[in-house]
Amino acid sequence: MDYRIENNDKSANVVFSGDITFSENVSFRQLLKDIAEIDIERCVFDLSNVDMVDSAGLGMFLIAREQAETSGWRLSVSGAQGHVASMLKLTKLSDLLDG
Amino acid sequence: MVEKSKNGGMSFGSDAEITTSVQTARILVVDDMALMRQMIGMCLNRGGYDNIHYASDGDEALEAVEADLPDIVILDLNMPRVSGYEVCKALRADKRFAGLPILVQSASETPEERVEVFKAGATDFVSKPINQPELLARVQMHLENKFLIHSLTDFRERMKSELVLAREMQESLLPEALTINELEDTTNLKIEHYYQASFELGGDLWGCWSLPGDRIGVFVLDISGHGVSAALNTFRVHAVMGRFKWSLQDPALFLSDLNRVLAPHFPLGQFATMFYYTLNYKTGDLVYAGAGAPRPMVVGENGVRLLDSVGVPVGVIKKPGYENHTDRLEENESLFCYSDVLVEAIQPDGTFLGEEGLVKWVEEVAESGDRSSLVSKILWRFFDSQPQALPDDLTAVTVHRGGRQP
Repeated sequence: MDYRIENNDKSANVVFSGDITFSENVSFRQLLKDIAEIDIERCVFDLSNVDMVDSAGLGMFLIAREQAETSGWRLSVSGAQGHVASMLKLTKLSDLLDG
Repeated sequence: MVEKSKNGGMSFGSDAEITTSVQTARILVVDDMALMRQMIGMCLNRGGYDNIHYASDGDEALEAVEADLPDIVILDLNMPRVSGYEVCKALRADKRFAGLPILVQSASETPEERVEVFKAGATDFVSKPINQPELLARVQMHLENKFLIHSLTDFRERMKSELVLAREMQESLLPEALTINELEDTTNLKIEHYYQASFELGGDLWGCWSLPGDRIGVFVLDISGHGVSAALNTFRVHAVMGRFKWSLQDPALFLSDLNRVLAPHFPLGQFATMFYYTLNYKTGDLVYAGAGAPRPMVVGENGVRLLDSVGVPVGVIKKPGYENHTDRLEENESLFCYSDVLVEAIQPDGTFLGEEGLVKWVEEVAESGDRSSLVSKILWRFFDSQPQALPDDLTAVTVHRGGRQP
């Protein structure tokens, strides 16, 4: 998993690529730290370049969602397709994550 | 032997423990010249070592090592009869002494000789005349290394056996063969099941039981993540389930009950995807509810039908609003539930199977006729594509309706 943060005017766009799985735990936590350091009102996880997300990966989205709630910004996901889209739909996390 | 039991056993190498081990280490000094033995012994004494033993030639040295294993050997090269080289080679040829540090000391020192010494299996080299601080520094370093490695090896061994134990305990949560056989006998269903814990522990669990009104209940669940916390939570889930007696008959209610009890205990980001159904084995009436588990497949003559398992996983939100769905498992149809590793494990070509890929596999098995061994046929093919240990637990449970020979 790689990510790139595009930040402009109180809104951040995080563009992911690669798979988001259990083994990406550490880099995902780093991402959350990176986001915590910028002043935003809104953050979008762009998943259009992600092929696969496993249940641990979904768990990381939930951790991000919690961080959004406590820090007062809005999290949404966009661009999910294929396996990622079906996982979000299957677990209804697409509703929870405003995707 | 006192020293050895102090060094080994169950102590896991705190700094203090290793320092104590170094100070009480058993040291064997091998030299054919009495004066040299005395000098080295005095030097070690001054350095704080007092568990020192001596041998005056190679034969004696090998006997001494055999009789009571030292923690380090300080070995002269040029001795009559059995030389230092031969002692090195003899010790290294024996597995029991593989980790024994051998510090060679010699007066004649050429680059070629050094190469020979290390080739024979020496750990390190000091030159004669002995420089006392250097000898002490090297002895201490090699003893510390030895005890560190020893304690790490102990620790690894213990972790390994604890993991094995944990996996066995986790497997004991699964239905017993006897229970399954009885269930099969009374219901005329065939339950084909497979469970394999991943090397590093995972969070899969499945179970089945009989219910009033000619029904059985079957669940599969997968706690997100891997490792100890996921595995421990399977115990929590299992214990909680034991408390629900009457909601077992209502899948949506069962999931809601579990969610209510478990949600406050799951750490943030951890949850359980799940599927629970009740099946009337006489009529085939099926009631089920899903919490984000992979979509189960009904397999029959007409191919594969996917059941709706959409739902918020257990443990995420307070009111997930689970819903019951109804369907029917016809005679000679099979209901196949599985955990996500089956569709998510990376295949040799770098892709993953995905739901579509698995449906195709199942259809191929179904077309071949005999569905009573659906799980083993699918898994056979799956393991063929997975030479390495699985990254996650694997569970597959199929209930075949229509007797043992559908």
